Order: sequence, then structure tokens, then C-alpha cells
Amino acid sequence: MNTIHTPEPTLRALGVSKSYTTGRLRTPVLDELSLSIDSGALTLISGPSGCGKSTLLTILSGLQGVDQGQVHALGDDLGLLDKPALERFRLRHTGFVFQDFSLFPALKACEQVELPLYYLGMSRSRAQECARQALDEVGLSSHRHLRPAELSGGEKQRVALARAIAKKPQLLFADEPTSALDAGNGQIVIDILHGIARNHGTTVLCVSHDARLIRHADRVLCMEDGRILQDSRTFPNIACPQ
Amino acid sequence: MIALARKTLIYEWRRFMPVAFAVGFACLLQLLQVSLVLGIFKSASVQVSGSSAQLWVGYPGTATVNLGRPIPEGVEALLRMDSAVTRVEPFWWEDGNWLGAKGNVAVSISGISPDPDGLLYAHVLAPAIRARLREADSVIVDRADLDELGVTVGDSASVNGHRVHVVAESRGLRSLSGINVLASLETARRLAPDTTEAGRPTYFVAQLGDPRNADMVAARLCCQPAFGPYQVWTAADFARRSELYWLLDTGAGAGVLFLSVIVLAAGAAISGQALMAAVAGSVREYAMLNALGVGLGNLRWVVLEQALWVGTAGLVGAAILGALLLAIAQSQDVPVVFNAYVTLACILVALCVTGVSGLAAVRTLRHAEPAMLLR
Repeated sequence: MNTIHTPEPTLRALGVSKSYTTGRLRTPVLDELSLSIDSGALTLISGPSGCGKSTLLTILSGLQGVDQGQVHALGDDLGLLDKPALERFRLRHTGFVFQDFSLFPALKACEQVELPLYYLGMSRSRAQECARQALDEVGLSSHRHLRPAELSGGEKQRVALARAIAKKPQLLFADEPTSALDAGNGQIVIDILHGIARNHGTTVLCVSHDARLIRHADRVLCMEDGRILQDSRTFPNIACPQ
Repeated sequence: MIALARKTLIYEWRRFMPVAFAVGFACLLQLLQVSLVLGIFKSASVQVSGSSAQLWVGYPGTATVNLGRPIPEGVEALLRMDSAVTRVEPFWWEDGNWLGAKGNVAVSISGISPDPDGLLYAHVLAPAIRARLREADSVIVDRADLDELGVTVGDSASVNGHRVHVVAESRGLRSLSGINVLASLETARRLAPDTTEAGRPTYFVAQLGDPRNADMVAARLCCQPAFGPYQVWTAADFARRSELYWLLDTGAGAGVLFLSVIVLAAGAAISGQALMAAVAGSVREYAMLNALGVGLGNLRWVVLEQALWVGTAGLVGAAILGALLLAIAQSQDVPVVFNAYVTLACILVALCVTGVSGLAAVRTLRHAEPAMLLR
């Protein structure tokens, strides 16, 4: 078992194992992995395709259960929560950004951001104010009335980011957030993610094989074959296997 | 709250159009089918519903108006003796063989009073046209039957071997039970086949001073064995009896019911599949909302709301098209009956179909797993 310990963790995995079964074939993805992640930092998990980094993100965010081990997020043992409780946990505490922006074609940028806030029970005026602030933070105030079809790829990802941060989550998970973007837009998204961690004290956990992200991360975890091979807080000299 | 369901429908209306079409057509088919069936079966009692009499007296156990048998003439006296009765008329109903330009056609001869205030067919025959029956050997037929009889107004033909003249045409006489040929009582007697029962009317109809007493008077007039075999019905009862005979005893009702179930099942299946396809197009966005913590229960409501909006849009289209088609049918003398309750029932059934489709589409959300968004 490889253990990496950091003080005051907001996310903690203890001896986590996970495998997928297809027919009679069982494929182990995570192998007794333990890990702690701090708040206020952008932590990057990098590694080659199939190394288990996305599976680790789904487990730490409560999107998927484990076969073995424990996951603690903000002090809650996620393994003890049922599906509705996990949904409530995610609604209150987590934001997500995925490579595919998953925006509703019919909604304007401000509506995309407001939508999840209403499910939190926010009033209309409060939701609109939070959405405005989030769009400000990602630099899209002037695009608030545009629909996805009228936005570039980078702008769509920034709207998705605004949607994720509008409720001021303590945990922000990003899966390949820059992979579909050009260099310029990728850089903007990286800077925003970094700023969110620094300015709001948010725990930002990012999974990517985009080498551009490494030098912007506060901490880089290199994974291979379901295990963490390297944990570095001294970037940018680290080189993870791709 | 953002009206996600409605905004998506409006913005992506092309994606949801097949669902609206499926629901709309299912409703339209139901509505037209029921209107046609009601119209056709209603036509089976046109002699009753088209007349202004409140009481009908015929042979006991007569199942439908066209299956009447002659009754004793003395019954007329019984009716006239009742103080509630203000007018009595005999009604001759005979089978006939029409020989026109197109050959032999089986017809039913209605012998009625040609008086302007005659009770029989009072609602479908204008007094001026009715008066033409006073001419010797004159008959009136429905304009929709002229072609089948091979005549036009002014032509002559033969009924049961007697010469008749078509002096006018009418509207609304088309009946499920066959072609109606209207004649005066005298003409009808002459045209009747020479049988032992000839000369006796098939029915007597009566008008009451107060139509609200119809049930009470019918009950009072029944069961007088001294007057021979007869039975008294209120007009509403006799019309319903005739319609139910055609609907239930001829097997037509079972056929219609079977067809309705098929239409409903097909509508539900098609709209369900179309809605599932439309919902599947948004499954990644729903998965994203679920990742952000929006519960599947909330997402199900969005899908159901979409289904109901699409259904409503389909129903509006069906209503417009249905009104148009019913108007065309009526203009072509196709017997259709527009009934507000029936329309409401069709709309409710269509909304149920939409609800079932929505529930089927909700199952698509099983695929809205947030993990699917990961690369």
C-alpha cells in the first residue's frame, strides 16, 4: 500500500480498491490506494489512459462506490451514504467540470448557471446574483444572454465552470477540463481553476493528461496501473508517464 | 426556477415534433372514430331522434326501430283517451324494392303525415318539403341516397311494382338501417306489399302537453292487454334502444372497441418511442445535473413535464385538424356526431397516453449516470 499524507485533508481515501467486471473478466482499476487532499490547492492527477485516474475522481466525488476501503469527504464517510444522501451531499458541496461541457442547448449562459442553484432552494434573486458573480469570475459577464450555439468551445467550458462554482462548493472536480480546448482557452481555464482554489479555499481536484496543466498545479499525483507512483509539490520539473 | 422542460421544447421543437404528431394523431383517430361510430349508430334511430314525438308505441320487444311489426289500430284510441296526450300519428314502416336506373335496391318506406306540423321527421323535414308528399305517389329521399337509387329530383321509379315520383330531396335521413324513402300515409299504404298485416301501422307516436311527463305517461299507458300486443317507450328510451342494438347486438361495438384499443396501444408505443429518443438526446445534460446533485426524482419531473407539454401541443393540432375533418364529413353527409363529452374523453385518453409515454421516457434516465461523462 502506498500512503501519502497531508495535513487537514478535505478528501481522504483509505485502502481503496475498485475493479470492473465485463462478463467473466474482472479488471482491477485501483489497488488499495490511500490518499489525502488539502483544501485551497489545485491538485492534479495525471497519468496514461486507463491508469484509473478518472475512476479515482468518481470515487472521491461520490459518483461511484468502492469495492473495498473508505472514502471521506469533508468529514463524511461516503460509503455510509445512500444514493439520495449522496445526491444531497453533491448538491451542497461539490462542483463538476467535464471535458464535454454538457450545457443545455436551450438555455442562456446565465440560466445554465442558475439552474442547479434553484435545486438548492435559492430564491430567484439570490440565484441570479450568484450566477452573475460566477460568470464575472470566469470573465463571461458580457455573454450571459448567449446560448451554447453562440459560444466558442472555450467559452462553453467557462460557462460550465461558472455553473460548477456558482454555489461556492467546497470541492471542485474537473475531468480533462482543457483537453478539448486550444492553448489560449486551456490557459484561461487553468488560471480560473487555480484562482478558485487560491481565492475561495476550494479543494480543486483535476484529472488530466494535459501536460500544460502540470506547471500550474499546486500538487501533482502521477498514477499508473491503479497506484500513485509519485506525489510532487515541487513542480514544474515533474514528468508523469503519459 | 428555470422552465427547463418548456424552454427545451421551444428551442428544440424539431426533436419533439414526432412525439406531438404521434399523440395528436392518436387523439385525432380516436375522436374521428368515436364521432363516426356515434354518428353511424345515431343514424340507426334517425326516425326517432328526427321526430318531435315524446312517446313511441310499437310491437312488444322491438329491438330497433327498423325491426318494427304492425300493431293493433285500437292502440290509437288508448293514446287519444289519455289527457296528457295532445296529438297522435300513425307511422307505417314497410320494406320495399326500389327499381330505378341502377336496378333493384332494398329500401325502407316511411309512411308519415304530410301535415306541416307532423310529428315524424319534424327535425329533418321542412314543412314546405313535407307538404309535397300530398301529391299522389310522391316520395322524398335523402340527397346522399339519390345516386345509389339512380334518380334525381323529378325522376320516376318503381317501388314494390308501383310508380313513384321523387318530388324533393332531404338532408339527415341517411340511416345505418338502409335507405329511407318518405311517403305520405296514403302512398305508403299503396306501396305496401300485399300481406295479411297490410293496413295496420307499425307504430303510433304521441305528443304530450308537457314533455317532462313522458316517463310517467309511458308507464301509465303500458300493460293494457285489452288493446292487444303493444309496448310504450319514451322517444329517448327507444332511440337508445335502437342504437344499443346496433352497437352491442350486431358485433359492431366489439369491433369498434377492439379498434380503439389498437389505436391507443399504437399511439402509446409510437409516442413513447419518440419521446424516449427525444429524452435520450439530452441524457448527457441530465447526467451533468445529476452529478451536480440534482436528484433523479427532479429530473423525472422534467421529463414528465416535457411529455405533457408535447402532448398538449399535439392535442391542439389534433383539435384544429379534427374540427376541419368533421366539418368536411358533415358537408359530405357522412354521419358524424360531435360530442363535447366524447371530445373531453378523447383528450383525457390522449393525455393518459402521453403520461404513459412520459413514464416510458423516464426510464431513459437510467442511462443518465454521471460516470458516463468521464473520458
